Amino acid sequence: MSESESGTPSGGASSRRRFFARVIAAVQAAIGGTLGVVVGGAVLSPGLARRESSWLPAGRLTDLPINQPTPVMLRLERQDGYQRVIDRRAVFLVRTGEGVTALDSTCTHLGCRVSWNSESQQLRCPCHGGTYDRTGAVISGPPPEPLARFATRVDEDGRVMVEL
Amino acid sequence: MRRAVADWLDARTGFRAARKHLLDEPLPAGTGWWFVTGSVVLFLIGVQFVTGVVLTMYYVPAPDHAYDSVRFIMDQLPFGSVLRGLHVFGASFIVIAALVHMVRVVALGSYRKPREMTWITGVVLLLLILAFALSGYLLPWDQKAYWATTVTINVARSGPMGDYVAGLLRGGSGLGPLTLLRWYSAHVFLLPACLIGFVVAHIYLMRRHGISGPIDPVAGPERPFYPYHALKDTLAVALVFAALVALAVTVRAPLDAVADPTDATYVPRPEWYFLSLFQLLKYFPGPLEPVATQGVPGLVVAFLFLLPFLGKTGSRRLRDRPVVAGMFLIIGLGVTGLTVMGLRDTPGHSASEGWSPLAVAGSEFVKDARCTSCHRDGGAASEIVGLAMLKDPDWLLSHVRDPQIIAPGLREPPSGAMSIGQAQSVLSYTRRVRAGKPLPPPMDADTRTASRIIGRYCASCHMIDGEGSAGAPDLTNAGRTRDAKWLHEWISAPDEIDAGANMPGFGAFLSEEQMSALVKYLAARK
Repeated sequence: MSESESGTPSGGASSRRRFFARVIAAVQAAIGGTLGVVVGGAVLSPGLARRESSWLPAGRLTDLPINQPTPVMLRLERQDGYQRVIDRRAVFLVRTGEGVTALDSTCTHLGCRVSWNSESQQLRCPCHGGTYDRTGAVISGPPPEPLARFATRVDEDGRVMVEL
Repeated sequence: MRRAVADWLDARTGFRAARKHLLDEPLPAGTGWWFVTGSVVLFLIGVQFVTGVVLTMYYVPAPDHAYDSVRFIMDQLPFGSVLRGLHVFGASFIVIAALVHMVRVVALGSYRKPREMTWITGVVLLLLILAFALSGYLLPWDQKAYWATTVTINVARSGPMGDYVAGLLRGGSGLGPLTLLRWYSAHVFLLPACLIGFVVAHIYLMRRHGISGPIDPVAGPERPFYPYHALKDTLAVALVFAALVALAVTVRAPLDAVADPTDATYVPRPEWYFLSLFQLLKYFPGPLEPVATQGVPGLVVAFLFLLPFLGKTGSRRLRDRPVVAGMFLIIGLGVTGLTVMGLRDTPGHSASEGWSPLAVAGSEFVKDARCTSCHRDGGAASEIVGLAMLKDPDWLLSHVRDPQIIAPGLREPPSGAMSIGQAQSVLSYTRRVRAGKPLPPPMDADTRTASRIIGRYCASCHMIDGEGSAGAPDLTNAGRTRDAKWLHEWISAPDEIDAGANMPGFGAFLSEEQMSALVKYLAARK
């Protein structure tokens, strides 16, 4: 409720009115604030939660062709509310001379899934025609930046590990 | 700038006149604290709306998920326990505030001509509030939810066209997903829509006729609602809200174990505001039951609707309205008396809240390597502590007896199948895990030993605390009829006492230590 502007009788009554109005506003603000903290906390906090990263196995290094982006599906288990869910993330592994890089398959324009076109030797996004080369750099189209990269390492058994 | 925007808006919407109309209602002199009760109810309804909307962001109205989603709200969601506390306790606050409001209206004769329709919309609002409370119950899908709703539906069955009404309430052929969904739908869509409609009508009628004011007119000028009476309203609301918040912060809103349709030990108890009806039921057994389920409540509601048309002459003073005052007093005393009696009859705690011997046994069995080879951190399956039991009991029973049935190819078959009793023990334990009690309370070694033996051997044929198998006598109160010596002899070799006994002797299976722990435990159950 906001302040009423009506009626300005004698000075005493009017200052009493103003005082009452202030008390009402203050008490209502306190009630609203308390409710706001509880409701706001419950609504906002899960949305701000961050996931801890984890290393996931993504196949053997020796199985990967050289310089050819190879899609692998990674299963990422995470807690979502009261249940554990499994996110499936498509990642392109590119084996280079010295090691392996992992490119996110999410187009940096609006989040569609890119795929490898072996004829044109490009990663293409189906939504707005963005194209990337095998290192993830933008060749053409609307994407504002190169494909995201994930950290990789090769363990002692020759398995490629990707950090998601 | 602000003024210019406000002027522009006012020229198009007329909000200043509307605000003036809302806030400057002239109230008769002497309008006191008694007239804040309606505002308190309205405010509490607002709190239910706000908290309810946020709860629906996390609640899942399906039997497989409802309980876990509520547990998530209570245990993991920041401010979740306070949020649900405000909603759950707020429901009780509304019922109290609405009753106080009603008593005030009756005491001051505010329902009389020309305010009959205001009263009638108020009675409808009271019934809607009770319908909210009833439908809200089922949603957590805990034991109380399940059993209280079972009782509600069976009460409906006792009336005229009972089977159809029960079918309407149930939605499906049994109490299950369709029931939960339709009660949820009623709770969050249908009832709020009705409530808003009747609240608007109630307030419109209140403004149309003005408030009734004090019984004896007080000399003096009328004063606008804002800020004079609004201050009283605001302070009363703040006081009630402070009490509600204090309760929600300090007391955890109750949540029983997950609903279990096979549990024979649970004693369903309604919320306190339905306790009088619950108690009334006890005095009208058998064919008289409809008197308690339909007759008496129907008459009370009919009386409330007809109240403005009784005793229309005389002043607003209570002593000039003996019929209304007398009837209201009788109903009030009746409801209060029945509620108090119902509260007295409430058992201290239901058996399922404690740890039955099978649950204790189960907590030991799950440490077995056959479970932990897969159910471990980083293993093929989640750890059993914190494992939510989403499957039905039959699935779990066959899974714990032979995991291969459910998940073929994961591992070697377990060596030696579990007994039925052991499987039920694990089941009983996982139920407590799901209810947020992963560890049994501390207990002496003998009790633990006895529990393990009961789970391993006895429960495959006997019942105890409502769990086990019904093939042999119930052991819950074994110590009432038999002493330790007799039990020892019987369990060691039953055929020496009764040549035709079906029970095998366990003298050879149990060590003397185990036997004495078991006998001591059973003999103490009186």
